[in-house]
Amino acid sequence: MTFLHPLALLGLAAAAIPALLHLLERRVPPEAEFPPIRYLSEAERQSARRLKLRHLLLLVLRTALIAMIVMAAARPLVRSRRAAGGGAHEPTALLLILDNSPSSGAVVDGRPLIERLKTVARGAITRAAAGDRLWLMLADGVARAGSRDALVATVDSVVPGWRRLDLSGAVAQASRLVDAEPLPGREVAVVSDLQRTTFGEGRADIPRGVRVLALASATGGEALANRGVSQARVAGGAVAITLVGTPGGRPAPVTVRLRAPGSPAGRSHDVGRALAAPGSSATVPLPSVAPGWWIGEAVLDPDELRADDRRAFVWRVALPARVRADPGAGPFVAAALAVLTQGKRIVEGSDVTVGERLRGGAGTTVLLPPSDPALIGQANRALVARGVAWRFGGAGTPGPIATAGVAGISGIPVARRYRLGGGGGDTTAILATVNGDPWLVRAGDVVLLGSRLDTAWTALPASPAFVPFVDALVNRLARGEASITEAEGPPGVAFQVHGADTVGAVVSAPDARESDLTPAAPDVVRRAIGAELLDEAQFAAEQYAGTRRTDMSGLLLALALLVAGVELGVATRAQ
Amino acid sequence: MTEVRRIDLLDPAEVARLGGIEIVAQGVVEGFLAGIHRSPFRGFSVEFTEHRAYQPGDEPRYLDWKILARADRLFVKQFEEETNLRAMLLVDASRSMAWRGAPGRLTKRAYADRLAAALALILLRQRDATGLITFDEVVRQVIPARVKTGQWTRLVRGLIDTPDGRGTAAEAALLRLTGLLARRGLVVLVSDLLFDRALALTALRYLRHRGHNVIVFHLMDPAEAELTGPPEVRFRDPESPASVVVRPRELARAYGETVRREVAAWRSACRRHGIGYHHVLTDLPFGMALRLLA
Repeated sequence: MTFLHPLALLGLAAAAIPALLHLLERRVPPEAEFPPIRYLSEAERQSARRLKLRHLLLLVLRTALIAMIVMAAARPLVRSRRAAGGGAHEPTALLLILDNSPSSGAVVDGRPLIERLKTVARGAITRAAAGDRLWLMLADGVARAGSRDALVATVDSVVPGWRRLDLSGAVAQASRLVDAEPLPGREVAVVSDLQRTTFGEGRADIPRGVRVLALASATGGEALANRGVSQARVAGGAVAITLVGTPGGRPAPVTVRLRAPGSPAGRSHDVGRALAAPGSSATVPLPSVAPGWWIGEAVLDPDELRADDRRAFVWRVALPARVRADPGAGPFVAAALAVLTQGKRIVEGSDVTVGERLRGGAGTTVLLPPSDPALIGQANRALVARGVAWRFGGAGTPGPIATAGVAGISGIPVARRYRLGGGGGDTTAILATVNGDPWLVRAGDVVLLGSRLDTAWTALPASPAFVPFVDALVNRLARGEASITEAEGPPGVAFQVHGADTVGAVVSAPDARESDLTPAAPDVVRRAIGAELLDEAQFAAEQYAGTRRTDMSGLLLALALLVAGVELGVATRAQ
Repeated sequence: MTEVRRIDLLDPAEVARLGGIEIVAQGVVEGFLAGIHRSPFRGFSVEFTEHRAYQPGDEPRYLDWKILARADRLFVKQFEEETNLRAMLLVDASRSMAWRGAPGRLTKRAYADRLAAALALILLRQRDATGLITFDEVVRQVIPARVKTGQWTRLVRGLIDTPDGRGTAAEAALLRLTGLLARRGLVVLVSDLLFDRALALTALRYLRHRGHNVIVFHLMDPAEAELTGPPEVRFRDPESPASVVVRPRELARAYGETVRREVAAWRSACRRHGIGYHHVLTDLPFGMALRLLA
């Protein structure tokens, strides 16, 4: 048995009041003459045993009465399986995960799924008691602590978001959080559509003593039909569109729209149409357009989940770079440039020079370290003369390439390299690293590489990514352009600018995994987060069940009333 | 219409405020005799003394039929009892008698004095020789039974002059009294009987054995009949160092039963030995107490 207000038990000291009053009362009774004291003595002698028993009974009853009232005030709780959901329970640390990922916007039976989830979440929070510790975690993965009312208000304001929820990770994080709370009860309640794609690999590490409850899917395990655009990328004058969604969906038409540079959103025109099924791709040719940044959009007909029905894409139309390779650039670079020239990705010219010497004049130089270590000093002096802060340093340790801005080269080993340093902490210039050291940097009109593009230095020239890397190096990186990156968010495009120039773009869209509305099987849920699937009624009943207690204060008060009645009867009967 | 108030039927404490023992006793007796209209006590023989006009309520058997036949008027014959009735009033003057349960009531002693004075007046008016003995631990006053003029005044003076006693070992005094009552007659004991019943009965039984007609007035304050008081109180015996702490409310029932049992025991024992017994509460009007003897 535990108590909701254990401090109230201090009042048990009051149970001694009847005994104390009895003792105090006996000390100085008033005196009076009474001649027939022999009758009195006789009456007392005959009633002595009854009176003693009665006094003892009254003392016990009064002490019990006070003790019962005090204990009722302390709200005693005893373990019970019969107690209704919520209500009295031991203090519990509860983290409620409300999955408002894009898939929660799906319409089920004419009602957005998020509304059902919010109703359940609201009920779960409302059932919390004053001694509970509460958090609310949405798809953003942030655990919001707050009072019951504050969290209910937060739940009321929740709308489907654009962030995917990694439920396995969220449950693991949530369970660690509640496990750190020194409360008798620790629970993680998952209110989600339980897409199968929301679970990560393996099982979330749930600390012992933490219960995880999961609300079962509203569709009873049936998958909602849905299609979404997962990818739209421009290559070779056409846009390749990939559809995703609930498996088994029929092919659907995809419309490609184009918006001219600088034109306002919404002023677009259709440029093509294709038919594709979830899991397949379609290619729609794009019309020839003038140089510049272009925005397109692949649009599906509306279905139950509107968030993934459209996806933007962006590409830049630019003239081929004019490139020249010094003899010192090596045979691999020369071969790659030849391929690019054949593919009309570059033309012969002096806008970009690839070599181991920094020459004066206009244009950008892709500077490789000299093959002769003795020439490092000369190269550094040339950099100083050009006003570049970066230098070739000492030999660095071998390691893989790490980069987010250059596609395809991450992880490729580097055997030999020079450390690049002296950049003055300008991390924006760093385009790739090896073992944490800068390996590819851009400073002004110089692009500096820590290794020669040779198989003796790195495996990059032998990899399929080499030609695209050289293409990006001379066409994009040398011009200071960032890559077109994709981000999770509402469908749209955000351009990166440098001065008056647009140097890159971020295309945002919901995570493609959100489009598959297939619910996870119960065993998958059990394996991934250690939770049983519960319908709404079970979910409400099982919540706080680990610490569910029956509040005995009502019973104690009833008993106290009964004892008071008995006491009154015993006290007045003798009178 | 004038309301006639008979003081013998008034509250004793109220009556006591009218004056001393003599006035109260005379008033009580006048009222008592006016109401009863006949001799309350029958002597061993009676003697005709005079006629008086018939009044409603008079016993028809005392009508003088001869006068009725001769003059067609109603007269009753009045008799004078013989004075060979010797009455001795024994008044308990022990310490316990000087107690009253409420300020507005008479003490048992005051009640006993007035009752004894009234009784003596009635007896003397009947020409019965009446005497008085007061006692507590010892015999305090002995006024031999006489019928001469001034006897009642002496008796009243004897009552007044007897102070409240201290102890209550009345059993010894009672035994001693038996020696003082040589000639048989009426013995009236007025007491709260707060002494050993067996010893007292021995003395009374002895008197009865000697041919006395014994009557006992067992006086009790109403507060002695029903136990009341504060939630807890130490009751002290006025006649001894004994004391007891009780809670009146929880002991009241047992106490009441004890008192009733004690009264019943006295009544039963007295009846068994041919002794008249009357339990009188001190709030009983004197007339009602006297009527117990009629």
